Amino acid sequence: MRITRRKFLKMAAAGTALTLAGRPSLSVSKEEYDLAVISGEPAAATKKALEAIGGISRFIRKGQRVVLKPNMSFARTPDFSATTHPLVVATVAQACVEAGAQQVLVLDHTLQRAELCLERTGILEACKNISGVHVLALQEKKFFREIKIPQGKVLERAEVIKEILEGYAVINIPVAKSHSATGVSLGLKGLMGMIWDRESFHSQYNINQAIADLATVIKPQLTILDATRALATGGPGGPGEVKKPNLIIAGVDPVAVDSYGVSVVPWYGQNFKGRQVEHLLIAHQRGLGKIDIDQLKIFKEKA
Amino acid sequence: MRSLIQALSLLLFSVFFVFATYKLPNWLPADIYLRLDPLLGMNAVFAAREIITRALWALVTIGATLFIGRFFCAYVCPMGASIDFLDFLFFWKRKRHSLKNEVSLRKAKYIFLIVFIVAALTGLSLAFLMDPMSLLTRFYTFFIYPLATTVINLLLDLLRPLFQALGWVTLSHLHYFQSVYYMTAITLLIFEGIIFLNRFVPRFWCRYLCPLGAFLSLISPFGIFKRRVNEDCNECLRCQKTCPMGAITEDPRGTRLPECIQCRTCAKVCPQDAVAFPASLSLGGEYSKVDFSRRGFIYSLAGGLGVGFLATQTPFTLKQSKNNLIRPPGAIPETEFLRTCIRCGECMKSCLTNTLQPCLWESGLSGLWTPKMDPRLAPCDQNCYVCGKVCPTQAIRSLSLEEKTHAKVGTAVLRKEMCLVWAENKICLICDEICPYNAIVFRPVEGYRRPVVIASKCNGCGFCEQRCPVKGESAIVVVPNGEIRLKEGSYVKEAKKLQLEFKPDPGDDKFIIEESGFKVEEKKEKSTLPTEKPQPKKPKGFL
Repeated sequence: MRITRRKFLKMAAAGTALTLAGRPSLSVSKEEYDLAVISGEPAAATKKALEAIGGISRFIRKGQRVVLKPNMSFARTPDFSATTHPLVVATVAQACVEAGAQQVLVLDHTLQRAELCLERTGILEACKNISGVHVLALQEKKFFREIKIPQGKVLERAEVIKEILEGYAVINIPVAKSHSATGVSLGLKGLMGMIWDRESFHSQYNINQAIADLATVIKPQLTILDATRALATGGPGGPGEVKKPNLIIAGVDPVAVDSYGVSVVPWYGQNFKGRQVEHLLIAHQRGLGKIDIDQLKIFKEKA
Repeated sequence: MRSLIQALSLLLFSVFFVFATYKLPNWLPADIYLRLDPLLGMNAVFAAREIITRALWALVTIGATLFIGRFFCAYVCPMGASIDFLDFLFFWKRKRHSLKNEVSLRKAKYIFLIVFIVAALTGLSLAFLMDPMSLLTRFYTFFIYPLATTVINLLLDLLRPLFQALGWVTLSHLHYFQSVYYMTAITLLIFEGIIFLNRFVPRFWCRYLCPLGAFLSLISPFGIFKRRVNEDCNECLRCQKTCPMGAITEDPRGTRLPECIQCRTCAKVCPQDAVAFPASLSLGGEYSKVDFSRRGFIYSLAGGLGVGFLATQTPFTLKQSKNNLIRPPGAIPETEFLRTCIRCGECMKSCLTNTLQPCLWESGLSGLWTPKMDPRLAPCDQNCYVCGKVCPTQAIRSLSLEEKTHAKVGTAVLRKEMCLVWAENKICLICDEICPYNAIVFRPVEGYRRPVVIASKCNGCGFCEQRCPVKGESAIVVVPNGEIRLKEGSYVKEAKKLQLEFKPDPGDDKFIIEESGFKVEEKKEKSTLPTEKPQPKKPKGFL
């Protein structure tokens, strides 16, 4: 399938319309928040965060197909904090199913051998009893399809997981971790798990620009950042220093979620703001989201 | 009935083969066919000069053969089954003339047997060249397994639209990892050769060449089931012509007992129903003798000693003592390893990452087909310890994960003249990032931050070598130096003694920050690292 600019604009318009139509601001009397930041145990906090953001049904229609994109790129157990906590993934998957999703695919393009990643991260095990949920690692080019990136500064095209071109809703569920090339790896950096050729990001392009480029075409309906643990050094693969902020940060604005994520722990022993992370700043400057967290409306609670 | 048992045996062999993966449960002996092989067992025991527990399984085969006769070849041997089935496929109804010098050809297998046993006694493992179990497992590993993966993936690709239409999510995303090996073509040629020999007579291999068959034939005349022909025989010679082993003499009433594999083809084709295989305790009569001369024995004895000399007195042996290859974790000391390894390829089949590859000539004749790690191709996964688990002679010891982690296979060495950071002042930290044990750290050297390997934290897994972005040969390579090879005892203890520590903990990563994408304020950088010259490039990621 090729996407012409016209088609793309139409799709984008349709997407925007859907998002607007789906906004519960009229039906829910609650004040609308940019972010929900919930502290607590992984499952409980995730549940609460979903409620606070207006319920998953705000994003998932009955009968819809959903892609969940956790970070399960490394064959590491959850305590290394290199991958999303399995209970966070399972809780979101369960919520999608309860909201009437027809099919939930938990997908990632893993860096290490697929079966090991699925097993060691615990995500396969956590999701195996939820009917309609499939945990899959995609490691072959045939599962990806090329799209154009009209607003790309360095990246003109990319091969992305084809489901996201087939009308699946996308929920990004990254883990909070440091990254040796991009400072932190949160939601936006996590989008790199949805493309085939990651290598060129590192070798060919300015990786920070390329991530922002990618964010102009892959727009998750919701980002749920798992900061129950944070890998403060040694990322993305670990081993490194694991901190325990015990937080789940959920929001529609991917830059806002990430920017808040930067503030929750010191990275490599130093405190940073979202603006100090190059790829977040670029994404913000290109109108992809808010970066200053003191200007955000944040719902905070304990689960 | 016999075909059915053969097919079942071949199936069982294949099933065990398929199960030899990192997920192999501890109770399942995936290598059981290899353990049951007395030739491989003797070869390893004689060459290594010690009792190998797993090889004792071969006593089951020896006992059964002593009791029943040479039934193994007709019913159990998966190689025999493959030969029979492929014979049916390619040479069925094809006219085959009996060979002229049948009798002397028949001796060949005993010559091979004696050569192999004698070579083993000199400390050279050689039986793998012709042992059917070893041959077939190798053929499966290097040819059938990669081929099957390719075919299955092709089928999956073909059916994928259907799976998608039916909404079968898992199947429509299914794809199997394709293992590849260096010696696939050679292994295939050898197997093809064995099958091709059937062009001359059925089971050419089993009749004339198979050293395992030779061994079993030596002890088979004690078996209780023997071919008997009663007075109804009208000498139509049909049995003599169809016998796949050529075990029936000119006079169809006679049987060359060592050659008879009790397949009972003769009984099936006899129009008079004159052939039977009753149980009897007698010792077989005049044809039970193995037709092998004293001269032949002496020649093959000399042959075995000769090969032993040729293979051990070479520069390769001297190099072997310096351990020039990276062996799998848990491989016993090199000399013993070469003597014990039966080159079945099971470790390479089960290897999760495909890093284990067969040697061709890297360590001479005595190292043929032995497993080595090829870290540029793939690393050793730190959660997998299956290679020892499937090793039938324990040339690679079966270890717990903890022990295997400490079975250091070598040490990574940075080749500074090729390293992007050392030689070109570029920013690259892939080896540091990927190392599971933080054995690579960045240290200030003459004002620049340079990657350095901490040898005491490196167990040689090879992730760094595989991932190094330098084209061609890696700028960081695993060398066998520092490997731990123990015949017995604990690797954990040994590693402690040597003050090694392979722990996935943070280590000193403090120098990474400026390279890691955050924008660090200038003055801060100066205060933390006052002695450093300005870095060649702005820090990555952070502003």
